Amino acid sequence: MTVRDHARETVISVENLTFSYPGSSLKALDGLSFRVTEGEFIGITGPTGAGKSSLVLCLNGIIPHFQEGTFLGAVKISNCDTFHTSCAELARQVGSVFQDPEAQIVAPIVEEEIAFGLENLAIPPREIDQRISESLELIGISALRHRATTQLSGGQKQRVAIAAAIALKPKILLLDEPTSELDPIGTMEVFDVLRRLNQEHNLTVVVVEQKVNILAEYVGRLLIMKNGKIAYDAPPREVISQPDLLTSVGLRPPPVGDLAFKLKQRGLYPGEVPLTVSEAYLGLSECLASRGNLHD
Amino acid sequence: MSVVANYIPRDSFVHRLSPLTKLFWSFLLMTLSCFFRDPVVLAGLFLSIVLVALAAGILKEMFPVFKGLLFIAGLFILFQIFFITDGRTIFTLIPGTGIGRVTDIGLTGCLAMGARMIVIAASFPILMGTTQIKDLVVVLVEKLKIPYPYAFMFVTSLRFVPTFMQEMDQIIQAQSSRAHRLDNKNFVKRFLSICPLAIPLMVTSVKKAERMAISMETRGFGVGKRTNLHTKEFRTVDTAVCSTLLLLGVAALALHFKGILM
Amino acid sequence: MIKVADLHFKYGNIDLEVLRGLSFSIEKGEFVALIGQNGAGKTTLLKQFNALLKPTGGSVQIAGLDTGKSTTGELARKVGFLFQNPDHQIFMPTVFKEIGFGPKNLHLSKAEIDHRVEEAAEAVGLSAFLGQNPLLLSKGQRQRVAFASVLSMKPEILVLDEPTTGQDYQEGIEIMEMVLKLNQLGHTIVFVTHDMELVATYAKRVIVLSHGRVLLDDSCRNVFYHPEILRQTNLFPPQIARLAQMFAQKPALFSRPLTVEEIYHEILNLPESTPNVCCS
Repeated sequence: MTVRDHARETVISVENLTFSYPGSSLKALDGLSFRVTEGEFIGITGPTGAGKSSLVLCLNGIIPHFQEGTFLGAVKISNCDTFHTSCAELARQVGSVFQDPEAQIVAPIVEEEIAFGLENLAIPPREIDQRISESLELIGISALRHRATTQLSGGQKQRVAIAAAIALKPKILLLDEPTSELDPIGTMEVFDVLRRLNQEHNLTVVVVEQKVNILAEYVGRLLIMKNGKIAYDAPPREVISQPDLLTSVGLRPPPVGDLAFKLKQRGLYPGEVPLTVSEAYLGLSECLASRGNLHD
Repeated sequence: MSVVANYIPRDSFVHRLSPLTKLFWSFLLMTLSCFFRDPVVLAGLFLSIVLVALAAGILKEMFPVFKGLLFIAGLFILFQIFFITDGRTIFTLIPGTGIGRVTDIGLTGCLAMGARMIVIAASFPILMGTTQIKDLVVVLVEKLKIPYPYAFMFVTSLRFVPTFMQEMDQIIQAQSSRAHRLDNKNFVKRFLSICPLAIPLMVTSVKKAERMAISMETRGFGVGKRTNLHTKEFRTVDTAVCSTLLLLGVAALALHFKGILM
Repeated sequence: MIKVADLHFKYGNIDLEVLRGLSFSIEKGEFVALIGQNGAGKTTLLKQFNALLKPTGGSVQIAGLDTGKSTTGELARKVGFLFQNPDHQIFMPTVFKEIGFGPKNLHLSKAEIDHRVEEAAEAVGLSAFLGQNPLLLSKGQRQRVAFASVLSMKPEILVLDEPTTGQDYQEGIEIMEMVLKLNQLGHTIVFVTHDMELVATYAKRVIVLSHGRVLLDDSCRNVFYHPEILRQTNLFPPQIARLAQMFAQKPALFSRPLTVEEIYHEILNLPESTPNVCCS
């Protein structure tokens, strides 16, 4: 560990986490262990049934407090053991955003939705008002403050859900497939917000997604899950550089990464495997230029 | 549903009153209407409700509601009136026979019952139209000491009405695409044809409820004492209005017991 | 098969037209993708194909039937509609009865229904699950039950609304491969999706909708190599097409590849004017 790591706090610590739902002998989570330091932007991916959602529920305390089952091992959020800390207490540390934009919004007006969590935690009204303004400003949706929640687009709803979660000033933001029901524009809106929260405000972001392409572009570390275990834990470039890793768990490698890998095998692609189309363009240009294929 | 319970934003005197005042007004009307038997007096009460709607600037929106109430009352009167046979016969539907007799007691009695129904029901939409739900909830919880989770359930169920209507639409479309018919002539078949709609609706409702519950848990719901962003105060004008209403109510009852207002 | 003539549509209580004068036709056996941004009218258009919605102007003809004069029930024999959420339709106690619901509504004989159910279950790989309660199956399995329920009605035209959204890669591929097989057997396919990689892999023809009008209606390759038009809709071509188009020299370096395989082989076949000094 370097000195820099010591200075950064470990905000999530999972040790040998094992969980089974009631009435099932199948292990939804099987001996998971990993740590997250403050300020990381982590993506979790894997096929259906890998345990991604179960992991999210363990990180915000829903498992074991709201969802029963057989729980072994430990999950610590900023050194609080989730087994002995209530969901409400954990809500101050971990904000959660889920997949269904409709079902997580409880209030008819955006302002009331943001206020909901703050009122639950008995924050004084004047501070609530201030935090609502700050939160909406951070996400860039101040204009939506008095809008009816049923009239928002999917992307707007999810951003309201993010604003409602961060109004509680958590250190960690946890998202479970937030863009699953959104179109590409809505997806980008959400991820741009996440990137900004992470880079400008040092928020630790953990997002579960099926869309490997998007994760490759935004996150700093990728956890691949399968059968309740972590199959791989590395920066996205390292993961994309090994496409069989992704295919072995049933995921699709991003096309440009796949192309670069194939060319690399023939010694035709310089440098690192690209994560975006722009990176791929640069790498491919270099390759083709050196073969004399490029001309103006 | 939406017309009856929707808040209609206006800046009127009635809107600015505390929800408690409006609840009191509604309650007073209901009490008075139980005492009075004269359809003219009850019609007068209804007229006062219409005037309140006018003062609140929502009379136009209330027309469909009032129309609906008048229609239901009309139906009710129609069903009852031929069965009351006391008193002097005013006219008969089919002359010469005993069928369809309308008596004076029957007429006044049924008109009174109809008018009473309307008065009892008519104040509710005006209450909801001039009061924001969040203010109503705060009053219910803080002043009337109803536990927050119950008030919350009321608010949230209203907020989800459009969501469930959309889900229902999608279910109907999905099943229609499988040649499912909803317009069977046979009553039993028509009843059974609800099944392919009811079960998916129940399943998706339960799923949504669970997701909602999880979302609420992760934001500290139900822990204990909570604060409220907005509170609607009970101001001097509210005291004044409530006192006036109370005085009017007492006076009306006094007149009633003296035999003047029946 | 599908003839759309100057189709206009607006919802009853809203004045804004969602579909504004669409005209196109789809022949038997085509594999068409319908793309466009949110609100462009894609799902509204799909629902015109089985009379869930009817034109407020113009007409839609499905296999000779005018949708304005037909009911959804009548069109159910010709058009199979796979919705995004299988839970909006599953309600029977067994998979067998669930798949049989559609054929039953078509008043087929018991023998015919049984035969079709077994065939459809086989096609989606659920033969072993016929006796189980569909509500207890996994999401991916429920999606396949919904798909089988559509297949058992043996429609000539298959309409799919976002068949892979909310599923993982494997599940998505399984569904699309089944659809491809059906197309090879002669079924006409129209599907809506946000996933451009999916469109590039499966669709032969792409119709781009924007604000209720047809912006582009062409082969897949032509559509994805029209970036200026696509940009109007905030849609991005698949990664490989974007990459190839960044090489803007003339004559074009690549012949409009859409998939990794295509561009890979093109790169390998490019003439080398200098020996390969590239890289490791």
